[in-house]
Amino acid sequence: MIAPRHGLMLIAPLALVLAGFFLVPVLMMLPTSFAEYVPGAGLAKGVWTLENYTRIVTDDYYREVIWRTLGLGLFVTLACLVMGYPLAYLIARGPERWRVPLILLVIFPMMLNLVVRSFGWIALLANRGLVNNLLIDLGLISAPLKLMFNLTGLMIGLTHIYLPFMVLMLVAAIRNVPRDVESAAATLGSSRLHVFTSVTLPLSAPGILAGSILVFVLTISALVTPRMLGGPTYKVMATLIYDEFMQLLDWPSGSALSFALTFMAIGVIWLSSRLTKRWAGMA
Amino acid sequence: MSALTFERLGKSYGDATVVQDVSLAIKEGEFVSLLGPSGCGKTTILRMVAGLVTPSRGRILIGSDDVTALPPNKRGLGLVFQSYALFPHLTVYENVAFGLRRRKVAGAELEKRVKEALAMVRLGAFGERYPRQLSGGQQQRVAIARALAPHPRVLLFDEPLSNLDAQLRDEMQIELKRLQRGLGITTLFVTHDQGEALSMSDRVGVMAKGVMQQFATPEDIYHRPATGFVASFIGKPNRLTGSVALRNGAGGTLSLGGGLKLPASLIDQPEGAKVDIVIRQEAIRLHRDGTETGALAGTIALRSFSGARVQYVVKLAEQVELVAEAPSSGPDSELAIGSSVALAIDPASVFAMSAEGTAA
Repeated sequence: MIAPRHGLMLIAPLALVLAGFFLVPVLMMLPTSFAEYVPGAGLAKGVWTLENYTRIVTDDYYREVIWRTLGLGLFVTLACLVMGYPLAYLIARGPERWRVPLILLVIFPMMLNLVVRSFGWIALLANRGLVNNLLIDLGLISAPLKLMFNLTGLMIGLTHIYLPFMVLMLVAAIRNVPRDVESAAATLGSSRLHVFTSVTLPLSAPGILAGSILVFVLTISALVTPRMLGGPTYKVMATLIYDEFMQLLDWPSGSALSFALTFMAIGVIWLSSRLTKRWAGMA
Repeated sequence: MSALTFERLGKSYGDATVVQDVSLAIKEGEFVSLLGPSGCGKTTILRMVAGLVTPSRGRILIGSDDVTALPPNKRGLGLVFQSYALFPHLTVYENVAFGLRRRKVAGAELEKRVKEALAMVRLGAFGERYPRQLSGGQQQRVAIARALAPHPRVLLFDEPLSNLDAQLRDEMQIELKRLQRGLGITTLFVTHDQGEALSMSDRVGVMAKGVMQQFATPEDIYHRPATGFVASFIGKPNRLTGSVALRNGAGGTLSLGGGLKLPASLIDQPEGAKVDIVIRQEAIRLHRDGTETGALAGTIALRSFSGARVQYVVKLAEQVELVAEAPSSGPDSELAIGSSVALAIDPASVFAMSAEGTAA
């Protein structure tokens, strides 16, 4: 065992870096979020207001962006889970010699630059992109489908980009499910399907939870892909915050939105871990 | 009719044969152990019975039903694992109820049978706990209750006591045996611990390298080992190298080296053959004075006290040493190092085996 005093020393370098370059700047943003923005002049001195926060809840446009962001996070997380679980199961339980090649294939997209991957999706999903051209040539559709600058495009792009995170988390979790426990269920009369639903799935819940939280948080805070696949008008929280800061120079509003996004993320994580723990009997 | 029958049951992985064609029949209510060193194929047999491993050859019958091709969930067996393999996300009650629910037992009947099973392993008050809140011994008892609750046709144990400490293991042995007797349930028990196998079983199958060496009562296994392997695996054997000096009927005289001769009542090898000689420590009588006829003379080289018994390393000649046991109280309990003793060895407890037949 490591004594608490030594433990503190071990995390001290990381804690200092995080405190100096993350926590302090974030806290410095806090007063800004209560400041008043004067167009053309910047922050009004000595005036404090809750307006930046109340606007997030009352303004229809902001509300729409928030719901869109949350919905996107949820959809992408579910899509990654549904597509990732079978693959993770194959990697964890399939033939030994497939494991390394499959994991390399899963990791491979992460070696490509994010911008390049997003451009790839533009080439595929645009009105005159590969997918639409193919479908039109096959005679399946007459006019191109709208696959970009909307929720569909963002979902496809982000699911592709964050799927590896989910798969890697799930592989670790499924490999941790003891085979004996599954065998025990089988000898007690469980069919293969019932073994999966009653043992494997609940016992891999920690991985499902960790992967889902990771993908959800990455999705709702993603900036580059939503900007490229959503264009300048179809905004999510991250692109909205970016524009408030960099285009409109409305720092107070941008700061307030940033805090709102942070608390939404924390709230969703808290809720989902409670639900998962209750479901998997970990609580 | 036998409760469990193997007909030329075998398993190979590629070229490697893990289980050579094993045939045996276990009677209704019988407690049978498969005993052998790790890698002898005993666990593979158990897993084939449970349906977790597909046999390469042969058939498995439960009663008169051929279950060889049935999946595990259709076999109606209870399996207790070395690792307990409890469902960590379910309470003790739900663990025990699991198999019953799969058999569509519900309502008051379910509750009655879960309570019954938990009472059998003296864990009636632990239903609401989770497995992680129990000790190793308690977890193993839950695993036994879980296997028993659906009233399986055959109960299978895969080294169930190996993860418990020695004292608990002894208690569990007795508890298990009592439970099995009381229920009259046919039991196949896999272990590498000969004490466990000999004390609990009606019959023991000793296995080595995938081959069933001997399938007999514990008494026969101990006193009348069928092969050199069994002789050297059971008991606490001394192993010496030597040769057959003289054949005389079924037995004869073995030469130990250093000019020492030793009578043995059963020798398979021809005169002059090089053999490994196995002498059980507990079959050697130790006497203070070397006057007895037919006794070997030696000097005490080392004494080690282990509670109820004392072990002596006795030097008979250059390069020839034997370990002998004596009760730790009595005339032979405090022989000093260097004192001379006489060893009387029962010829029936001396086994000659071909050099390659040795236990690994």
